[in-house]
Amino acid sequence: MAETVVEPKVEVALGTPWNVVVHNDPVNLMSYVTMVFQKVFGYSKQKAQQHMLEVHYKGRSIVWTGARERAEFYLQQLHGYLLLATLEKAE
Amino acid sequence: MLIRRLKGNSIELTDIEPIEAELLRKVPSVCDTGGDSRAEARLFSNPADSSEHQFLSDWDEFVRPELRHLFVSARKTVEEDLGKLSDRPGRPGRLVVPCAHSDAWLNTLNQARLILATKFDFTDEELSMHEPPQSFSRRDLVLLQINFYAAIQERIIDAVNGEEQE
Repeated sequence: MAETVVEPKVEVALGTPWNVVVHNDPVNLMSYVTMVFQKVFGYSKQKAQQHMLEVHYKGRSIVWTGARERAEFYLQQLHGYLLLATLEKAE
Repeated sequence: MLIRRLKGNSIELTDIEPIEAELLRKVPSVCDTGGDSRAEARLFSNPADSSEHQFLSDWDEFVRPELRHLFVSARKTVEEDLGKLSDRPGRPGRLVVPCAHSDAWLNTLNQARLILATKFDFTDEELSMHEPPQSFSRRDLVLLQINFYAAIQERIIDAVNGEEQE
């Protein structure tokens, strides 16, 4: 009888998108947060301000979604600017 | 104190009153958390929830030391710039900072504000308050200090984004 080879189930995580989320913080200035979004993500001033206002009024904003490695890179940059930022699996 | 962008990619702080010079010189020492666990937790906040065990562990091992190095390096830059602050008794001071140092200044002022806000337990409401304080307790004075550093951050951002002046 031929041996049955069961291949291990490999979860393909490459396609799973991840969110970079920035949370509200009363200390960081609105102008500072806007500037950081422009520098880190290369966003236009308008887009950066939209995210900053979402953080300010809703408490959080998903500022970027994509591959895990890139998300971790952005996260490190945001922490370097002392923003409260976390990584979350996108729904 | 006035802050403006000069030609040649630098930022000039002029008319620095003695009390302002003193507060500026305090910035690097304020950034020393003194081991305060809450201040440390704010400077090095968690990048994910507890379900991301391996990521959090890697972050602590590899990223956190880099962040600490970045913050200390920014502080040193500011400290060295402040060493050039010219102020003679009875006369307002002047300081010229290269635009290339603006990130270090913004970062260090942020460190100072975050640490003071955490150590003195300021609420969101207090930090958003713009009315003059009711009293002049140590806590009220620290809030003024936080707002003074915030005003400098705002002016530096304006200066970096603004036009060069003679």
